[in-house]
Amino acid sequence: MSSDKRVHPKVTEAKELMESGRMSRREFVRTAALLGVAAGTAYAMAGLPRPAFADSHGNMPFPADDPNAKEGGILKVAMQIQKVEDPATFSWVEMGNQARHMMEYLAMTGPDNVTRPMLAEKWEANDDLTEWKFHLRKGVMWHNGEELKAEHVVWNVTRWLDADLAAGGIIGLSTYSAMLEEHDTGEKDDDGEPKMVKKMIPGSVSADGDYTVVFKLKKPVLSVAEDCYNYPTAICHPSFKAPLSDNPIGTGPFTLAELKVGEKCILKRVTKTTDGKDFVYWGGKVYLDEIHYYNFDEDNQLVALAGGDVDAIYEFGVEQMELAKSLPGKVLAAKTAQTLLLRMQVDQPPFDDPKVRAAMTMAVDNARAKALVFPEGGSVGENHHVCEIHPEYFKLPEMKRDVDGAKALLAEAGHKDGLEVTIDVGNTDGPWHQTLCEAVRDQLKDAGIKMNINVMPASKFWEIWDKTPFGAVAWTHRPLGTMVLSLAYRKGVPWNETHFDDPEFEAALDDAEATLDVEERRAKMEKVEKILQDANIMIEPLFRPVYTMTSEAVNGYPAHPTQYHQFNKVWKS
Amino acid sequence: MFKLIGRRLIQMVLIMLTASFILFVIFDTPEFKKRLAIQELGGFAVSALDETTYNEWLEKKGLNVPFYQRYFNWMGNTLTGDFGFSYEKNRDAGPLVWEKLANTGILALGVFGLMIPISLILGVLAGMKEASLQDRAVSFISVFFTSIPEVATAIILTVVFALGLGWFPTKSAMISGFSFHELILPVLTLVVYDFGYVARMTRASMAEVMTSQYIRTAVLKGIPYSRVILRHALRNALIAPFTVIVLQLNWLLSGVVVVEVFFEYDGFGKLLLEAALFPDIEVVQACTLVAVAVAVISQIISDVGYTFLNPRIRFG
Repeated sequence: MSSDKRVHPKVTEAKELMESGRMSRREFVRTAALLGVAAGTAYAMAGLPRPAFADSHGNMPFPADDPNAKEGGILKVAMQIQKVEDPATFSWVEMGNQARHMMEYLAMTGPDNVTRPMLAEKWEANDDLTEWKFHLRKGVMWHNGEELKAEHVVWNVTRWLDADLAAGGIIGLSTYSAMLEEHDTGEKDDDGEPKMVKKMIPGSVSADGDYTVVFKLKKPVLSVAEDCYNYPTAICHPSFKAPLSDNPIGTGPFTLAELKVGEKCILKRVTKTTDGKDFVYWGGKVYLDEIHYYNFDEDNQLVALAGGDVDAIYEFGVEQMELAKSLPGKVLAAKTAQTLLLRMQVDQPPFDDPKVRAAMTMAVDNARAKALVFPEGGSVGENHHVCEIHPEYFKLPEMKRDVDGAKALLAEAGHKDGLEVTIDVGNTDGPWHQTLCEAVRDQLKDAGIKMNINVMPASKFWEIWDKTPFGAVAWTHRPLGTMVLSLAYRKGVPWNETHFDDPEFEAALDDAEATLDVEERRAKMEKVEKILQDANIMIEPLFRPVYTMTSEAVNGYPAHPTQYHQFNKVWKS
Repeated sequence: MFKLIGRRLIQMVLIMLTASFILFVIFDTPEFKKRLAIQELGGFAVSALDETTYNEWLEKKGLNVPFYQRYFNWMGNTLTGDFGFSYEKNRDAGPLVWEKLANTGILALGVFGLMIPISLILGVLAGMKEASLQDRAVSFISVFFTSIPEVATAIILTVVFALGLGWFPTKSAMISGFSFHELILPVLTLVVYDFGYVARMTRASMAEVMTSQYIRTAVLKGIPYSRVILRHALRNALIAPFTVIVLQLNWLLSGVVVVEVFFEYDGFGKLLLEAALFPDIEVVQACTLVAVAVAVISQIISDVGYTFLNPRIRFG
């Protein structure tokens, strides 16, 4: 990569910024990697020591080989076992994990939140971030012996954007939504409005030769590489037909040997291609022979590890921390931007009154609520859905709890004798949702707001999560702060659960999303975050850490902020 | 007798029809279909779907067909032995249910193998001499253990024997094939809960027999006490416990949900719970049919067995 002739002008710009001290070295590495500079080179340019993850070893996205690593063995992991039908419509991270060892991605975001080239060996963007070129690695072999070609990737992307596929998880990502446009079907819906479908803009994705894929976007997008590692965007062979579990042809080191939903998922190393030749994996050494996933509910995983049934688990909740600490093994924690929003719909009474919403947020001290629920790890939320681990996070002036102010606002809004509200909670991520709501409830009480907590089963909650006027909704981690804001707070996007609508906010967000320079982007985020915070559409007390655990024998097990499993360099001693 | 069996079987079919119909009505509501969509596609994705796409999805799954048509289809299929398809486990419901039923059968076998001798011996010992020390002791132990809920027993046993002493595995998922070792804790949990009940029933029955006149006569005739108990009392005393034990079959099938879920034992109860929560309609239906069949058949067995054990009872 250092032999590259063309370095994106923004990289040079970023380097200057770093040298003048306006950008931290770590942010430079991130930005440079986003623009297609190999992480190892970026670390070198920044004058930082290369961490284990930087690619000092042939532009690989994986950690460096461990000289002490022992080859062979079976890794047993406790996780819920889901069906593996069509990667593009995967709806759970677990499905992605089962498939990730077979089907790979153009890019890979490591546990350190840096995105590196995977099936692509590098990428580059034009100066206004509307055209991205991904150069594929040469010699990547499919399990059927063919070589990965640009046309295969084009086939995948075209398929994702097909309206019939209903790949909700993909078209929600900014990269792919910037390749879609509305089409009139010619039919009318029940209200007489023309029925519209979203179709791919012709030419949005194309192959330039055998090894280059070109994305043309209708607006600038910064997170193209990140959007290539979201769990539904696995690259399948064009012969793919759902269900994947019947005939998995991927490029990864493992393939599916046995799948029993709700029981087990057995993955074995690929040694021969389907036409009988030796299979050569592009990604270097892989230590494990087999990966066995066994179905254990989240509450049971830690005990299964303690009993020696498995070597590692998917996740355990904070309520099990004491148990985890008492067991032999390694407790791993990842800092994430996963969060819970106690969000209000701006067009539903009583939250349609901005004063009511302001009173609600004013009455709560987020840090105090966080300390009760996650005393260790995590970070305090600031009611604008951007987390301190995001590169472009701007620190707004601290919010102060003001009970009297909240009372005064309530009185102004016509609720002199207090206000009673009910929040819907589904505990979709564990019982801590409820605990957190209880912590908030106790604080609201001081301001004369009585918050009832309506706990419902998770599956029931998913029916109403975006419809309830007041609900506690979990949002997952995304590598950049701008990514989630685009998904959730733009007018008319499917996941806009608060019904927030502010052209000024969207303009500010557009501006930030088109800005590569982290310092500059951060300055622009001040306005974005401020508008959102002042709109008081959510109480967001915290960003939570995620915990997982392995036995002492497991090495190199990644604690990934989105719990994505990538076990190429995991080994058992 | 055959008339009785015939009547019971007709009853069974009627119960099956009613239960399956009610379940179908419940699961046919739009809310349940939406829940299924959420399970299949993910909560966030479903809300990103527009009406048309959602309807297409329903059509693809065959869920847009009118209710009565689906019900008759299902009935027809069931009669030919096709129990439908599990959305959750992604395979045919019939083999799935049999497989889990067999697992629960193994569990039941273990429970009966241990529980029957323990509870009968304890019950007989207690009932032989009412109000004696051994009666008081057995009664106390029985009532004590029966009043602890299974989930508490399961936790205590796991903490002591699995996490503490390390004698048994913590979970019984049998991930590397069937293991007798992993079966022990769930069996113990169920036995601890159940033996007291059966022992108390045996005790009551035994005590009643011991007060009857033919026993007094036998004792007064000078027949050795052990012979009186074994030859004269036992046969009559075991009639009531026999019925109770056969009816435990029913309890083992659907009452063990807690134990199976706690130990991650892949049995019928766990399947039923998962299917009901999913909602995996055809699996719930298949499980219901099996549960009804087992309930009615165990009742028939207990009735028929009763007539053999107690010749005084005749069915008209």
